[in-house]
Amino acid sequence: MDDIKNKKLLIIDDEFELRNMINGFLRKEGFTSIFQASNCAEALEVIKSVKPDIAILDVMLPDGDGFSLLSALRQFSNMPVLFLSARGEDEDRLLGLGLGADDYIVKPFLPRELILRLTAILRRVYSTPKQEQRPVFQLKERIIDLEGGIVRNGSTEYPLTAKEHALLFKLYENRNRIVTSDALCQAAWGDDYYGYENTLMVHIRRIREKIEDNPSSPEYLLTIRGLGYKLMVKEV
Amino acid sequence: MESTFRILKRFISATVIISIFLLIFNFILLGVWVFKGMNAGHSPNDVVQNVAKSLRISPNASYSLDFSTSELLRQHHAWAMLVDGTGHIAWNYMLPHELTKTYSLADVAKFTRNYLMDYPVFVWEHAEGLVVVGYPKGSLAKYQHILPTSWVSSSPLRIASLLIGNIALAVLLSLFIGSKLIRSIRPLTQGIQGLAEDIEVYVEPKGVLANLAQSVNSASALLRQRNASLKSRDEARSNWIAGISHDIRTPLSIVLGYSSNLEESSDIPVQKRQQAGIIRQQAEKLGSLVSDLNLVSMLEYEMQPLDKKPIRLSALVRQAASDFLNNGLDEHFILDVEINDENAQVSGDERLLMRSITNLILNSINHNPDGCHILLQTFYNEGSKTCSFVVIDDGKGVSQNELPDLLELPFSSKRKRPRHNGHGLGLPMVARIAKAHKGHLLLSSDIGKGLRAEIVLPSIKVE
Repeated sequence: MDDIKNKKLLIIDDEFELRNMINGFLRKEGFTSIFQASNCAEALEVIKSVKPDIAILDVMLPDGDGFSLLSALRQFSNMPVLFLSARGEDEDRLLGLGLGADDYIVKPFLPRELILRLTAILRRVYSTPKQEQRPVFQLKERIIDLEGGIVRNGSTEYPLTAKEHALLFKLYENRNRIVTSDALCQAAWGDDYYGYENTLMVHIRRIREKIEDNPSSPEYLLTIRGLGYKLMVKEV
Repeated sequence: MESTFRILKRFISATVIISIFLLIFNFILLGVWVFKGMNAGHSPNDVVQNVAKSLRISPNASYSLDFSTSELLRQHHAWAMLVDGTGHIAWNYMLPHELTKTYSLADVAKFTRNYLMDYPVFVWEHAEGLVVVGYPKGSLAKYQHILPTSWVSSSPLRIASLLIGNIALAVLLSLFIGSKLIRSIRPLTQGIQGLAEDIEVYVEPKGVLANLAQSVNSASALLRQRNASLKSRDEARSNWIAGISHDIRTPLSIVLGYSSNLEESSDIPVQKRQQAGIIRQQAEKLGSLVSDLNLVSMLEYEMQPLDKKPIRLSALVRQAASDFLNNGLDEHFILDVEINDENAQVSGDERLLMRSITNLILNSINHNPDGCHILLQTFYNEGSKTCSFVVIDDGKGVSQNELPDLLELPFSSKRKRPRHNGHGLGLPMVARIAKAHKGHLLLSSDIGKGLRAEIVLPSIKVE
């Protein structure tokens, strides 16, 4: 994990105070090699000489805009780029992400969010690829293994069907939060999900039979009347 | 196209009616005129009949004519005679000298049909012979009309076919003239229709309607110019607001960054951290005000591009309610959902519609700090093909005369009262989002009766 903190960062923004602030937060967070540039020309120079591992890029720069800088950059480098811009319109965000930016943050922003997103990108790009695991979680004595698609209760095993698996996965992703029936149907049946509400109820009933002690008065998979369902999971 | 056809139809029927009227009028006039001409004073036939009737034979074998009849003859400068069975003149009145002779059967047959020595004469039978009345030479024209019976009996048919022929001719002529007229009018009507639809038009100024064509052209140019200047003004305003809200973001980032950093740092006293937290909260408020202001101005000047797709209102409403509940809605508030039509669908921008529901719910929350019951409903109206979502609270409400104010922008001149709390952009934004979707926002409320906000949108329900 610590090798992420040794990565070379480049902040490109024409506002000295803002660069300074981000610089301060990043250093506090443990990053050590941070470079700054106030315009496109300077940025290209730093990129060529230092070869930073990631750039935080403003869109409006005195000698050009971040979008064209990114296009120019993409000619010779694949380094991840995070846009940090005052331009928050949908088109701008789509343009930036379409050009191959890894993320787009609109000002004003919270420093914590910037650092979380930055480290997320670094981890994704530079950490040794880890097999993505489907979650395995516990409801009292039952173990719900979404990787294996099985619910274990002691020595008995209940296999989950594909739809049950998709529904349970969606519920787990949003655990302890209401998931609307529309979102659940969409997760299981895709975009043209309309009309599956009754089928959804049947599947929920079957899931309850596998994960609840008493499916008729559920303890974990709750119905939120008029809205949807909620999976209650105590974090260990 | 349809309108030119309608004009042509009207034109033809008017022409036909006018033609028929003219025809009938002329026939009547002709009839009256001829009849009057024939009967100027007394007709020769009347005169001769009168003479034959009033010519009496007295016991002493002399003839006498009463005064009125002889006066009648005198008025017409006519003469009269009675030719007896042998061809001799038994009686006469003012008979010209050259006529004092006997008449043979052939003479009688001749003058009965034509003239007697160029005198137009008329005959009538009398007990003693034939009464002949003669008019001055050249005063009357005598014509014989001899018609075949078949011709007379078929005359109604002939008159009818004459009428029909006339109508057909009138239709054809008016069609010809009308279509010529229409052809010259059509570019103009198209031009005017184009103006109504706000399309740039140019009509070739030629023919009798050249002046009109020029007027249409200049009206179009004027409209275009007005639109362009309006648009550039709107654009300037919108860009100005966008520019300001852009420029505010960077300094706001710095305020937000440092204040939240201070709020989180453990090496300063709690009280200072709380103050930093207040600065952070206010900066966040400023941030949302700035982006709201930008969105409202874009909507106001219709410069917000809509990312439209089919959206089921029920799904949207459930999502909005779930988001509020998931994000820890204060327990003073109860949020309920009532879906009246599950498949009511609109074509809309999901983010903006979600924004409007959120704004309405936040409005109910912000104006009722002591808590209230908030009900979200969706409806489909079969009659008007619209659907709507409704946010109702049972909070303190607003007085009825304040309702229109709520939809005006906070510092608009149309607003009668100053705003109470909040930045005042929430409801105007909802109204403008509804308008951008070709719908509208309806508010109803009264003091103590809560607020009901309904967004009505055109439906695209297909099933």
